[in-house]
Amino acid sequence: MDERRSIFIPEITRVEGHAAVDVDIRDGKVCNVHLNVFEGTRFFERIVLGHKYSEIAHITSRVCAICSTGHVLAAIFAMERIFGYQPGDREMLFRELMHLGMIIESHATHVFALALPDFLNVPDLVEFATSQPEHFQNWMKLRGLGAAVQTCVGGRPFHPVNLHVGGLSKYPGVDSLAPLVDSLQAGLPLAQEICALLLGLKPAVQRTTEPEFLALRPYTAGYGFFGDQIVSTAGWTRAASEYPDYLREVVAVNTHSKRALGGSKPMMVGAMARLALFGDRLGSSAGQLFAQSTLSRGDTNTVLNNLAQAIEIVEAIERALEIVQLLVSGAVGEPQPLTVNAVAGSATGAVECPRGTLYHSYSLDADGCVTAADLVTPSVQNTARIELDIREVVDNSPQLDSSELQAQLETLIRAYDPCNTCATHMVSVRYEGPIDD
Amino acid sequence: MRDTFRKWWSVEAVSSSPRQLPSISVHSLTGCAGELLVILENLEKMVPYVRIAAFPFAQSRNDDGPVDIAFVEGSVSQPHDLEKLQHIRKNCKWLVAVGNCAVWGCVQRGACSRFSVEAMRDAVYGENSQIEVLPATAVDEHVKVDVKLSGCPIDSTQLLAVAASLLKDRLPYITQKPVCLECKLRENGCVLIENGLPCLGPVTAGGCGALCPTVGAACYGCWGPCESPRMEAMATILQEKGYGLEEVLLRLQSFGAPQQLFERMKSGKATG
Repeated sequence: MDERRSIFIPEITRVEGHAAVDVDIRDGKVCNVHLNVFEGTRFFERIVLGHKYSEIAHITSRVCAICSTGHVLAAIFAMERIFGYQPGDREMLFRELMHLGMIIESHATHVFALALPDFLNVPDLVEFATSQPEHFQNWMKLRGLGAAVQTCVGGRPFHPVNLHVGGLSKYPGVDSLAPLVDSLQAGLPLAQEICALLLGLKPAVQRTTEPEFLALRPYTAGYGFFGDQIVSTAGWTRAASEYPDYLREVVAVNTHSKRALGGSKPMMVGAMARLALFGDRLGSSAGQLFAQSTLSRGDTNTVLNNLAQAIEIVEAIERALEIVQLLVSGAVGEPQPLTVNAVAGSATGAVECPRGTLYHSYSLDADGCVTAADLVTPSVQNTARIELDIREVVDNSPQLDSSELQAQLETLIRAYDPCNTCATHMVSVRYEGPIDD
Repeated sequence: MRDTFRKWWSVEAVSSSPRQLPSISVHSLTGCAGELLVILENLEKMVPYVRIAAFPFAQSRNDDGPVDIAFVEGSVSQPHDLEKLQHIRKNCKWLVAVGNCAVWGCVQRGACSRFSVEAMRDAVYGENSQIEVLPATAVDEHVKVDVKLSGCPIDSTQLLAVAASLLKDRLPYITQKPVCLECKLRENGCVLIENGLPCLGPVTAGGCGALCPTVGAACYGCWGPCESPRMEAMATILQEKGYGLEEVLLRLQSFGAPQQLFERMKSGKATG
């Protein structure tokens, strides 16, 4: 006799944005999985139409607060490429510092506040703050550090006001930069501590099929988040501007997030992908932590994305320290004047956001106004693998009862740090018992 | 302000047992989750004084019952948002709309003033899309709103002041004076008059502390209109500075300013 059951998670809590998961199971095997992003749609590709190139970063920033800096920089890089504008060292170092602030703030919020409660078993914030005061405090400190870096460079913790096509409207002086040295040094051991804690945890969910990892090759010889070439663990490298060819976009019915599928293997972007491809470029502290982890030996368990993000916090703090010290030393040239000449054209800007590669493409007319736009977010690129992961975990865990299974699925989905605000808002999960009871 | 906040609350916090603490909930409709982040950042300051009944972004255990204060971010952009909003309104004493999305409708409202929402859906998701959409609207177009706290994102000090006032059963004062006032208090040079940048400070509500002009950039209106905004005068001066009417209108509308503010301009009466 058929045993049918379904798992429905109507709203996945502790993720950014709104989404639900629906799993149909027959005779212990999954027959259908659906990740339903029920965030309201905002149509950014249409919102920007007709607007001047100088307004676009302010508008696309509003796609997502936590990775607003990424949406700002991707737009700026696309515009500068259209204009043939080459930013100088000073511009790029400040932009990188700003981006590292975002990486620290976003990863700290995800690792401590959204993912860690699963492992510490604290279902609400008051309990988190009172029963785990040390972790709670460390989160507040690291989050505050990322916010301080972004406020110093961008003018506020997110939705920056100081980053523009051509450079910054005001370059923070030594007075504002110097205090960051102490804050960054104070943050480093906290980030190493959370790595150590995560290194000691056994992944709560078993490993699933190895994905194809994609990430931007950093411009510099070190680890980094800016580049214009995409590298795949399948062995190919392509210009990021060719993304429409290599990401085959599928618009799925019932979900507001456009899904992207790579080749045959499900693709995955984000901290794990960056470490898998460029882990050998990490600085000394982050490199040591990476070497201690199974990530450096090819472990692709999705839950390890939490650890991968923690390692990136360490890397981001170390690199930010380097940049601040360089800027304070006065060894970097004067800023370029904030002037660009708008011309008609089309180009793509890409950055590695906390959750993976973000693409922005624009076409401008001769007045510098947008005539076409396309935005592809990291969460969209991960959707297919999230669904496949859910299928595998359910298929391989016939011994688990429904509440255990639901808990595992939530931990798994949270590990991706899905940003449904980007993909379009939050995931929710409701369980319904076996149909025959 | 923060010191005042602490002083006000310290007495109550000591005398109240956890069960008697006032309750708050934090909800989001359609937006960027920015206000959730600001509230999350300030939770440490609020946790001693309130019970967080629901905050699905930040905690797994959420209760659906009545609360004293409900903070709602995001615009109403789909039927699901509307149902959720009506449920929240029924279950709270004070409803606070937080952020430009909830107060004005933000950039999605700006686009809905220009394009039909169905046409945008078809263009992005294909003509057979079954996604349910509504033209983006502010929260007070659907339910009674007790406090409107705009910002993109909201300001932490204003947020704490609003919470402190409501817990004292008082409606808070929230400035609607233009950004220019705060800019003058900071003794900035005027980026509009002196540098010819398309600054919207004269018609935009302050509260941010004149962030953009302070770094030498033009205000782009992210907090929504100030009290009695002089849109015609703003458009006139921008045209004098060399910006075309179309560009000016688009810029003024991008962060959700209501269409009524532009009716005279569109009829061509006050642009010359």
